[in-house]
Amino acid sequence: MVSQRLIGTLRKWEGGVGILAGLFIFTGLYLGLVVSPPDYYQGEVVRIIYVHVPFAKVSLLSYTTLFLGSCAYLWKKDPIVDNLCHAAAGIGVFFTSGALITGSIWAKPTWNTWWTWDPRLVSFAILLLILIGYLMLRTFVDDKRKEAAYAAVLAIIGFVDLPIVYFSVEWWRTLHQPMSISTRGISIAPGMLTPLAFMAIGISLLFFYMLMVRTQMLYLQHLLEAKRGGLLSEEEG
Amino acid sequence: MPFFDVIKWIVWKDILSEIRSRESISSLFFFALNVILIFSFSFSVDRDVTLALMPGLIWVAFGFTSILGLGKSFLSETHNDCIGYLQMAPVPKGAIYLGKLAGNLLLMLFVEMILYPLFMIFFNLDILVKLPTLLIISLLATIGLSALGTLFSALTVQTRAREVMFPLLLLPLSVPVFIGAVESTQGALSGDPYSFYGHWIALLFVFDMILTIASFWMFEFILDY
Amino acid sequence: MVSLCGIKISHTYRFFKALKEVSLELQKGECYALFGPNGAGKTTLMKIFATLLQPTSGTVTIMGRDGVQDREEARRFLFFIGHGSFLYDDLTAIENIEFAIGLRGWLPTLGEIKMALDRVGIGPYASQKSRTLSTGMQKRLALAKAILAEPNLLLLDEPYASLDEKGIAIMNELICDFLKKGASVLLSSHDRAKTAEVATHAGILHNKGLREIPVTELAHALF
Repeated sequence: MVSQRLIGTLRKWEGGVGILAGLFIFTGLYLGLVVSPPDYYQGEVVRIIYVHVPFAKVSLLSYTTLFLGSCAYLWKKDPIVDNLCHAAAGIGVFFTSGALITGSIWAKPTWNTWWTWDPRLVSFAILLLILIGYLMLRTFVDDKRKEAAYAAVLAIIGFVDLPIVYFSVEWWRTLHQPMSISTRGISIAPGMLTPLAFMAIGISLLFFYMLMVRTQMLYLQHLLEAKRGGLLSEEEG
Repeated sequence: MPFFDVIKWIVWKDILSEIRSRESISSLFFFALNVILIFSFSFSVDRDVTLALMPGLIWVAFGFTSILGLGKSFLSETHNDCIGYLQMAPVPKGAIYLGKLAGNLLLMLFVEMILYPLFMIFFNLDILVKLPTLLIISLLATIGLSALGTLFSALTVQTRAREVMFPLLLLPLSVPVFIGAVESTQGALSGDPYSFYGHWIALLFVFDMILTIASFWMFEFILDY
Repeated sequence: MVSLCGIKISHTYRFFKALKEVSLELQKGECYALFGPNGAGKTTLMKIFATLLQPTSGTVTIMGRDGVQDREEARRFLFFIGHGSFLYDDLTAIENIEFAIGLRGWLPTLGEIKMALDRVGIGPYASQKSRTLSTGMQKRLALAKAILAEPNLLLLDEPYASLDEKGIAIMNELICDFLKKGASVLLSSHDRAKTAEVATHAGILHNKGLREIPVTELAHALF
């Protein structure tokens, strides 16, 4: 069985990925919080980007994973791929809300507002809503096979929709809020780039580590449900 | 089985059922009427303020009505397991989607056509000359809402907590429709030249194309997988 | 001429195995009766043959068309009567038939529809909304659809349920007619005596597998 092999591979590599993620994150944090100098304009506040930017990137990574996984599931119908998608969505909620919260914390001292209708912010909020809707939908479908297919369809439609959301909000904003505060064009000093790179790699590895663990958890959860219900078939025991 | 015959049969069936029962039309109409009444009490009667809020009011009313109407679209298919017959029918599943979409579109447009005069009466609007533009905007925005709504109706109709899930899925994804519809309605109502708001109509059009095609493909995985 | 051929059909989802390597072949003019206790997988097997479910492994062939890859084509040849009545509550019996047969690609005339309705004994209810029909009448209406659909393969999931004596007699008569015209029938049932009147082959689903039993034993065998 493909599932068995994949689960074996995940179990073998998860420890290594986890340790590597930890190393990168700690190095990144040390470089970012201790070694690198404060920003000329923003002062110490700028250090939140070492968490915020990687979180934002990894939210997109998790949704891309979810999208590709959903396509693969609809194509191959392998339940383990569905577990992977389910895992990616849950982790996506964590990183997306993390990105939004750290973004808000950063926005308050720099732009003096918690929230602004910036296209990126709105798209992230919509992304979060889609992911939460995705997870809710999954809990409301009784038939496991349908649950997987419906969820995959939703993930794909959401992925197609997000760029349109982004552009529509961008147009809308240029119309209603002429850029009094620029939310872009922050140039990054070379001293900040190294810790940022470390953090980006570290958080991405963390995502993969979480994905591996969570996929196994969901797989085992299905197995446990089947065992409890006495539905276990001999091949996959 | 020719593609368009399937669409025709589905539309025929949906419209005939609707004419017989008048279930959706009447409930949607009175719901929308209530929304309009609540609006007129909630906001000041100052004419300038009302005019400024008008596009938003129109589209919030239409949006709520769509949630109510589109969400029920696949309910009749589940009653006697008709959805199983549709799955077994020797026809392309995309045609069934387009048939349901066309039926929903006709229903929603019909309700909107009744609502426009009501807006004119209750809010003392003078929109007769702008009506053709408004109708085009309504058509494009309703296509977008119905395209997503029809797909999500099929997606949520067999789930528990259907009434909650449907708006939760539909609303975030239809943000571009609402932005585009409100902005272009604003442009049309204030009498701006077309070039001022034409890009919003283009946005609606692009949204309709992309989402209809994507849903058309995805429908097969919901119905026959 | 083989109308339906299922080879080593298994159905699993994840850890739950509903069917294990079931093979079944149905020739033109044959009627196969499927027995088995509740939960043996009868409905699952019927749904797989009706192309409502796809087998996890194994192949289904309907009139030479693959039931998974080519299911759009294969569906032209089969008609399924199951637990759901497939009726729209606000349409009349006639309109329901027009829609159901219309989706299959042709429109019967009013006369043909009336004839089919008379044949199953619900002629007087032709113009009533189907919501007012009883369960037994709805089943007869489904039979009328089957007559007009002229399938090569008729799948009946518990055909005798909710039918009265007269209805059961009509059902068996019609099954015989279908067989005579060269169609094949696969039915699942718990009623051995009534099934024995029409079945040419029989099998029992047990422990997720299929075991053939001689038809002659149907009337008295206990299994």
